[in-house]
Amino acid sequence: MSSDPAGRVPAAGSVTNVVTALVLVGLGAAAFAGSLALGVGSAARPGPGTWPMLVSGVLTGLGLVLLALARRTTDAERFHRSGLLVLGAVASMIVFVALIGTIGFEIPSAVLAFVWLRFLGGEGWRLSVVISLGTVAAFYLIFVGALSVPIPHLF
Amino acid sequence: MTVVVGFLPTAEGEAAFTAALDEAARRGEPLVLVNSPRAGAVVSADLASPEAAAALADRASEAGVRLALRQEPHTGDIADELLRVAEQENASVIVIGLRRRSPVGKLFLGSNAQRVLLAADRPVLAVKPA
Amino acid sequence: MDSLSPVLAGFDVVLEPVNLLYCLIGVVIGMLIGVLPGLGPAATIAILLPLTFTLEPVTAIIMLAGIFYGAQYGGTITSVLLRLPGEASSVVTVFDGYALTRQGRAGTALGIAAIGSFVGGTVSIVVLSIVAPIVAGFALDFGPPEYTALALLGILLVATVGNGGRIKAVVAACLGLLLATVGRDGFVSAERFTFESLSLADGLDFVPLAMGLFGLAEILYALEERHRAVHAPAKVTNVWPSRADLRQAGGAIGRGSIIGFVLGVLPGGGAVLASLTAYAIEKRRSRTPERFGQGAVEGVAAPETANNAAATSSFIPLLTLGIPANATMAVIFGALLIQGVTPGPQLVTEHPELFWGVINSMYLGNVLLLIMSIPLVGVFVRILRVRPAILAPITVLITLVGAYTVNNSTFDIALVIAFGVLGYLMKKLGFDPGPLVLAFVLGSLLESSLRRSLLLFDGDPTGFFTRGISGTLLACFLAVALLPAARSVLGGRRRPATTPTIKEPV
Repeated sequence: MSSDPAGRVPAAGSVTNVVTALVLVGLGAAAFAGSLALGVGSAARPGPGTWPMLVSGVLTGLGLVLLALARRTTDAERFHRSGLLVLGAVASMIVFVALIGTIGFEIPSAVLAFVWLRFLGGEGWRLSVVISLGTVAAFYLIFVGALSVPIPHLF
Repeated sequence: MTVVVGFLPTAEGEAAFTAALDEAARRGEPLVLVNSPRAGAVVSADLASPEAAAALADRASEAGVRLALRQEPHTGDIADELLRVAEQENASVIVIGLRRRSPVGKLFLGSNAQRVLLAADRPVLAVKPA
Repeated sequence: MDSLSPVLAGFDVVLEPVNLLYCLIGVVIGMLIGVLPGLGPAATIAILLPLTFTLEPVTAIIMLAGIFYGAQYGGTITSVLLRLPGEASSVVTVFDGYALTRQGRAGTALGIAAIGSFVGGTVSIVVLSIVAPIVAGFALDFGPPEYTALALLGILLVATVGNGGRIKAVVAACLGLLLATVGRDGFVSAERFTFESLSLADGLDFVPLAMGLFGLAEILYALEERHRAVHAPAKVTNVWPSRADLRQAGGAIGRGSIIGFVLGVLPGGGAVLASLTAYAIEKRRSRTPERFGQGAVEGVAAPETANNAAATSSFIPLLTLGIPANATMAVIFGALLIQGVTPGPQLVTEHPELFWGVINSMYLGNVLLLIMSIPLVGVFVRILRVRPAILAPITVLITLVGAYTVNNSTFDIALVIAFGVLGYLMKKLGFDPGPLVLAFVLGSLLESSLRRSLLLFDGDPTGFFTRGISGTLLACFLAVALLPAARSVLGGRRRPATTPTIKEPV
């Protein structure tokens, strides 16, 4: 991955850092509780919960440390408007996986590619359509035609 | 009032620059050269190299025209970018180079020149290479 | 000596046409992604994991290995020509490489880099061939306590020396260890953290996890515009370095090979640290250090040699001990598991054709890279013209469709998306996904070793220190873990260094 000094995203505020740390503490505590429920056994006879208990204990501890350091943490990035692009991208993928079982991969792939090209990538209408259709065609030829991958397909 | 020219390091771009220089000299206005690559890719063949840009500046000073170079990357359509700069710089004329596009090419990729011509609200000078 | 015959048998394996082909494919893909900003070798290998199902284990690992060390070559091209490092291990090459380009000597820089990379890689392979069987033989005596200590140390080193803050990296590792516990407990057959879901009963599959956390996460992260500057296409005029240049760079190449080899073996060390260290050492021992940054050929030779040597030697812990040294090795570990090959000291004896096949393929790969890297520079610069916005959806579709082919189930696609979102959030918030994947991969090994050790010691943890090897390893572990805490307590406030972060080896 290239590191571009010109394009540094501003650091996240302490709210983000506090929330992150709290999530980690919560996760660690939940896992800790779950491990205890599984049965910890003893040091000589470790049970299924022993190891997760140790790990979640460390996790909770570190989460608390991060909570304490939340104000001074600078290596998180601020969420801003271009994060909506990521949201859109994830939404398109969720739609893809929801539809692929029922109507095959061709249409969801074409739609996903078009959305990514036109709306997330800012490419022109015509280029987006052309590349979307071309990609689906190529995938069809390679995956369904040449490799006979059993992916659900309509045509 | 300025003359704005859309430039690419191609024969069409060179033709447009030559015509734009003449225009600017004739009108006595400064020349704004827009050489804006598409943002995103690391390398763009649309961007004039520093040597090429220096050569353009030399030609402008020889012709006695004040040249301003705009090379910031743009997102979206180059036609929109050109028109935006023309608006910003209060252009009296926009100079563009015309490229030969087959009807099929125009169908798939469109014509930037056509977009500029149809959307501009000020005179457009379209030239072809000699 | 009889030990030579398996080595030679390895060459037979390499020369099989299918392996030759996939070696070539691997190094070309590696160079491509080294050049392109965005996906790195770990992400690409993760995305291509479904492809490896259809291949023989040897062929698959030959290709994946080619991708890894090929990426080191590719990252150089953009560093030298455009002042833009394609890979983190090529950051230091920018200083002198780009200076040489501005002097019109881009070809010299690229040529020196290619030759140095080749020498570094080859030296590393030779030493690896000698050292690896010895280490593997030594490690056959390892028992559960040794493995516990080794896995702990490996995870900690990767978390400590890798990207990002130390605490966050250890947090990521803890998450990985927890994710590894999901599923059926090997010892007692209890279901852990499965939330009554049938799909989770067998545990989380490595492939969707890696594809999501490395592949998809990187694509999502790259979606946010980071306003990369655009460059005009660079022309490479003079082609080959002169004899004087080569002589001047010779010492740097030699030293870089050794530094690279040593630092590559350390978990968490790797190509990045090696290139930084080699550059720093070369500059320090030079009688004319002011030349560095102005176009000194040693400034290109040293880091490029070191990063290739390190990339190659980082295979040693994986192939001999079964401990991945960095994130990419963790993915390759997973690839081996998928193929039904358990990495560990027994790999040399149980699968000699795999062991030597992979190692010997690296000779071939390095030769191919040397031959191809100079003529293909123009092609690669042209490839850089393709906008990432066009490549992104194609890569995503390859990932999603590939995810389906793992088990012919759409649940895996959903898993990839879920892990992709997790990986994206992690990167956004400063957590490196690498330690998570590494810890996940080592999680079950670590836990079973720990439990066996505790059974062995009858619950007494000090038993670890009664055994020489595990005691030493655990001492190292405690040292690395407690060092920063000790420093901040004893050292008080320290003014931040003004020099760019050139790390010295630990």
